Amino acid sequence: MGEAIVITSGKGGVGKTTTTANLGTALALQGKKVCLVDTDIGLRNLDVVLGLENRIIYDLVDVIEGRCKVHQAIVRDKRVDEKLYLLPAAQTTDKNAINPEQMKSLIDELKREFDYVLIDCPAGIEQGYKNAVAGADRAIVVTTPEISAVRDADRIIGLLEQEDIEPPRLIINRIRKNLMNKDDNLDINDITTHLSIDLLGIIIESEDVISSSNKGEPIVMNPNNKASLGYRNIARRILGESVPLMAIEEDNKGVFAKIKSLFSR
Amino acid sequence: MKKQLVHIKGTKEGLVLRLDDCCAYADLIDELENKVSEGGIDNRVDVQLDLGYRFLTEEQKNDLIQVVEKSGKMHVQNVFSEVISVNESNELLLASKRDTYIGIVRSGQIVKAAGDIVIIGDVNPNGRVEAGGNIYVLGKLKGQVHAGVDGNKEAIIVASHFEPTHVYIADQIDIMSNEKPFVSQHVDQIVAFIDQKGVIAYERLQEARNLRPLLNTIQGGS
Repeated sequence: MGEAIVITSGKGGVGKTTTTANLGTALALQGKKVCLVDTDIGLRNLDVVLGLENRIIYDLVDVIEGRCKVHQAIVRDKRVDEKLYLLPAAQTTDKNAINPEQMKSLIDELKREFDYVLIDCPAGIEQGYKNAVAGADRAIVVTTPEISAVRDADRIIGLLEQEDIEPPRLIINRIRKNLMNKDDNLDINDITTHLSIDLLGIIIESEDVISSSNKGEPIVMNPNNKASLGYRNIARRILGESVPLMAIEEDNKGVFAKIKSLFSR
Repeated sequence: MKKQLVHIKGTKEGLVLRLDDCCAYADLIDELENKVSEGGIDNRVDVQLDLGYRFLTEEQKNDLIQVVEKSGKMHVQNVFSEVISVNESNELLLASKRDTYIGIVRSGQIVKAAGDIVIIGDVNPNGRVEAGGNIYVLGKLKGQVHAGVDGNKEAIIVASHFEPTHVYIADQIDIMSNEKPFVSQHVDQIVAFIDQKGVIAYERLQEARNLRPLLNTIQGGS
């Protein structure tokens, strides 16, 4: 029996879908059988980020309405052999097409076959959120070091605490090293004390994440990237390993800047 | 001779009309009408009604007051009664209760209490705590608090870290801004209360003892 994890944030654009795609791929690379479920009906894009867009035949709503079997709708990612699968969302209807009970029985069915079921939650706290959380055993909240994202994360944590699931854990995404040390910016400590939930990991901002997504290839496929390492570490923590938090050092100083900082001390 | 249903007594606080609590309500009203229309009072006087063990609804009480004040000579200051309804009693009991909330009051959540409430945790921005009585926040107060929601102006708000966005006490509202020097200079251990001018004011927590001595329920330190 596998485990279902919902990835949510409240606010849009903080990187739920990217996180789902990368964590799923990282878990699959660790040898786990993973199914990613896109619940953002009407605005699906997990398939695009994974580069599986043109292989979709059936979708989530087809399965729930009985037009096909689950295994017919699931799309296999050929890059990670026999380990990574996607159940895409429907694009032609909206979030009210399904209800939490249907979602729960679908996730329960998937859990029998997969080690991990990662549920990509849509932004907001309405029907789409309720559907996404319905079948989950655990929750991961994604936020960025911005006050608006942290506020929304606070709201969503409050809602998750009302659900019958384990206490949610936090991923801080898109950390910019050069901004962390300035006074007016939220640092990791500020965010974790404000939200007071366990920190699962941090992801350092990298331009390669976007270009990689655009190519339909999750960044974790590239082992030499900081963001990729962050996702791999989080996957290992989900599997129960204890991995220390990545250091955020400024490594972008040139030789000239280094000499300059030497003198300015 | 028939038993008197209305006794008029003079006390230090003024006249007290003691109304019999065993007779029929209609008889009582009749006799009261007769009594107050009798002459003998020159100036306008304050009187108090003592209902004894008779239970009256608010409308009935108002009827009695009207009967007494009809003559224009008497003004009812107070209505005493030895009894209250079960509902009123329960409300009083709730209002004197102290509730405890352990956890964080997060954005969008409202925690309500009929009496006092102790929050063991933070109140985050856009989180809200409402209490009929006082609010004590042991963690960081960064959201909205409303003490004395039912109009208790004596209610206070105490927080170990005081940084709320809105403070309400009874019908008073204070929107926190940087112009409040006291609060911006001392964010730790603050008590908020309604001062003699009737507006919300802030003091060091230690001042609460002088501001609201009646909150003290225990003698100690000997």
